[in-house]
Amino acid sequence: MTTLQLGLAYGGATIVALFSGIPIAFALGGVATLFMMGFMPHASVDTIAQNVFEELASITLLTIPLFILKGAAIGKSRAGKDLYDALHTWLGRVPGGLGVAVVLACGLFAAMAGSSPATCSAIGSSGIPEMRKRGYSPGFAAGLVAAGGTLGILLPPSIVLILYAVAAEQSLGRLFLAGLGPGVLLVVLFALYAVFQWRREFKRAEGVAAAGGPRSPILSDEHFTMAERLRALPRVLPFLLLLTGVMVALYGGIATPSETAGLGAVMALALIAVVYQAYHYRDLKKIFEGTLGESGMLLMIIGMSLLYSYVMSYLHISQSAAEAIVGLHLSKWLLLTAILLLVVMLGFFLPPVSIILMTAPIILPPLRAAGFDLIWFGVVMAVVMEMGLIHPPVGLNIFVINRIAPDIGLGPVIKGTIPFVALMALGVVILSFAPGIAMWLPNAVYH
Amino acid sequence: MSAHAELDLEHVDGPRSGFLGVVQSVLDVVNGVLAMGSALAILAAGFVLTWEVVGRYFLGIASDWQDELSTFLLIGATFASAAWTQARRGHVGIDALSLILPVGVDKVRRVLADLLSCIFCSYFTMKCWQRLVEAWVDDQTTPSAWGAPLWVPYACMTFGMALLAVKLAVQGLGARR
Repeated sequence: MTTLQLGLAYGGATIVALFSGIPIAFALGGVATLFMMGFMPHASVDTIAQNVFEELASITLLTIPLFILKGAAIGKSRAGKDLYDALHTWLGRVPGGLGVAVVLACGLFAAMAGSSPATCSAIGSSGIPEMRKRGYSPGFAAGLVAAGGTLGILLPPSIVLILYAVAAEQSLGRLFLAGLGPGVLLVVLFALYAVFQWRREFKRAEGVAAAGGPRSPILSDEHFTMAERLRALPRVLPFLLLLTGVMVALYGGIATPSETAGLGAVMALALIAVVYQAYHYRDLKKIFEGTLGESGMLLMIIGMSLLYSYVMSYLHISQSAAEAIVGLHLSKWLLLTAILLLVVMLGFFLPPVSIILMTAPIILPPLRAAGFDLIWFGVVMAVVMEMGLIHPPVGLNIFVINRIAPDIGLGPVIKGTIPFVALMALGVVILSFAPGIAMWLPNAVYH
Repeated sequence: MSAHAELDLEHVDGPRSGFLGVVQSVLDVVNGVLAMGSALAILAAGFVLTWEVVGRYFLGIASDWQDELSTFLLIGATFASAAWTQARRGHVGIDALSLILPVGVDKVRRVLADLLSCIFCSYFTMKCWQRLVEAWVDDQTTPSAWGAPLWVPYACMTFGMALLAVKLAVQGLGARR
């Protein structure tokens, strides 16, 4: 069999196995094992358990359960609501301040929890009802939270960036820093859109009121006294200290990324115990069940994806595919566009972890040959995967919003997210023209 | 529905009557105990890594065993809780075909998916067992200064994958009934 035939058979078998409904982890592991039996030396199949163990025994990969535990601890507490309330009181005077507060709260919460669904759920459960009460249209309110929640896979400690660091053999510290600039860029773009859309809805409501129609609550003015603003701070400050403390420990040379994960998880559990008295069995049960479910599923996919990639590499499929892509002599930007479109399409069906581990051996060599910085590409890829969380038909955040605000309906939620998909695409274009937004900070810190 | 669906941790999927119901009940108990142990292992890993920072940075104690112990704890937790996660259908797959297939055909597809997963997990269990025996007989250890015994993670992998295979079999056969 030629490498091309082998590659087509491998790809075809993978598609059949995945679409049969076999869990992704077992589908990838099963296909890899079958090809080991058929096309690799007989003894190689005896090492599948050893391969999975050795691939998983990476302390970088194993930060994932601890970052998930940290996110679950913060996500299952009232920290999200308190954070959002505090920002709301401080931004009450800004036009569209409520929407801006939601975006900022999503960004900060995502950076603390590192999870998009947890961010959507924590901020959306209080933010969406509040925005609707204040006259924001349901679709706008839902879209804002869904999009804000996506920041979880771009800002540290992003699991997507951890996996990319392993797959691309890049520095996790540099990747985390490279995610900050684009994260802030997206927060600014979302906040500007929130103000813009608020003005449109405000003017529409003014028109209706002027014509003698009902007066929308969006027209009401809202004031908070300084005492109210100060009262909102004490519950939020400990979590902001956790966020900055973890970053200082990581970049101040005190802790490695894995130690930061352990420290962050323990500190988050301690904080919710002190601030919210969340130390009872029922509180901890929810936190640990959430952690076990998510991390078990992810690590199983990661272990089997790495086995899958190993077989693909052993059979020279990934190298040949990469060489074929290089041989097409596409222009630099056409190559990038084609690869990003492939990532978007794969995002219809596969979670980011599988996309990264399955495609990295094929797409990274051509990108490197074309002169792209792989740290920069990792961040751009994360932004594109963020789009996958809110673009129809299968964005995870859309379903999270639908669960916490079922009366809005999927249609308005999807409609509300579309402007944010466009803003993220704009973000990718800006990052392409100004890569320094991502690269300035890591270059400055690691020089 | 796709691979992106959220995990439903409340709902345990499996037969509730007959022989398979009994097996399911036993599995529920074993999985519950292992899930508790896995949660404690993750928490312990968090404390070990926290101690590593405190010990090295503030007390000047060398860190030679912490990373390896954390790795063992987290790998152990992942495999020991694998069947618990599967009981909640937490190992996600692509269910796009359920939207276009007739109900009867889709049911057959689901059963086949469970049974094929079971076959793979059984095979993987056998390979884990072989590694476990080798690690035990040859007294294999990690290449670090600490030299932790390798049979420990392989035991977790073997037991966890075996339970997972049984769970998948019960889910597949239970659905057919």
